[in-house]
Amino acid sequence: INLSMDGDSSTTDASQLGITGEYMASGHYVLQSQDDDAEEGMGDHDDGGIKENFREQDIYLPIANVARIMKNAVPQTGKIAKDAKECVQECVSEFISFITSEASERCHQEKRKTINGEDILFAMSTLGFDMYVEPLKLYLQKFREAMKGEKGIPGVAVGESLGEDLTEDSFTNPLPAGIITADGQQQNVMVYTTSYQQIPTVQQIQFS
Amino acid sequence: IKNKKNISLPISRVRLIMKSSPDVSSINQDALFLTTKATELFVQHLAMSSFNNGAGKETNSLSYSDLAHTAEETETFHFLTDILPKKILARDYLKSLEQMQEEDADF
Repeated sequence: INLSMDGDSSTTDASQLGITGEYMASGHYVLQSQDDDAEEGMGDHDDGGIKENFREQDIYLPIANVARIMKNAVPQTGKIAKDAKECVQECVSEFISFITSEASERCHQEKRKTINGEDILFAMSTLGFDMYVEPLKLYLQKFREAMKGEKGIPGVAVGESLGEDLTEDSFTNPLPAGIITADGQQQNVMVYTTSYQQIPTVQQIQFS
Repeated sequence: IKNKKNISLPISRVRLIMKSSPDVSSINQDALFLTTKATELFVQHLAMSSFNNGAGKETNSLSYSDLAHTAEETETFHFLTDILPKKILARDYLKSLEQMQEEDADF
């Protein structure tokens, strides 16, 4: 139980947030640790150092991105409290870790070293997110088509993860995704993308 | 040529979070993309569910307590309950402590 002595609803202790990503005009993210300024490392060679500086639970996605997705998920006139945004930011890291450790476990069980797409989808199914699986497969298909003709990602080994090339650009055209909520009401959720692509089956995401 | 890859979260940061899980050696492109995309869906899902079903005082807003409430009520979001403790005033907590002690005394 979290005790709030003065009765207000904001509790987020800024010092606990650790790392917050800041949007820089240059498009680079600078992670600010409590000790020093650490430049976000793109390649593997930086991972050792970065892991030492930051605790697992201190790494978050930039609040601006998270807040934007939230804003588009609720009705236009709806308001979102600041501590709700920060909270979802933390939930997101929790979600990613949740999925990743499940996927990683499966990977190890099958004596493989690299987590692949199947591992992720399987983890989602196992952990109660099977409603994401079908839409994700479609998104992956589109992604692969978009990547076709590009010789992988420059500077990244085959089978390794994506480099800086795939960090987001500014997005202007929303992709409407109809979502049917638990009580049967259809909501339209706008997902920011740059190309206006309607994926028909994405409209049937059941969050029940 | 615009970005046709359809992502609104920084993949590199997602990767960083994934790598911070114990025993994760490498992650392939598909896995990284899928996780990033799934995270977007997750944010939408969580925000929407909390907005609609929350127990907050105001109906047209999304507050921390809406999120905490949703995590408790919705099975899919149970994994969040540890990081979304419901907040109560200290005096309410003490009051319910007293009540519990009284109940125990009855036995």
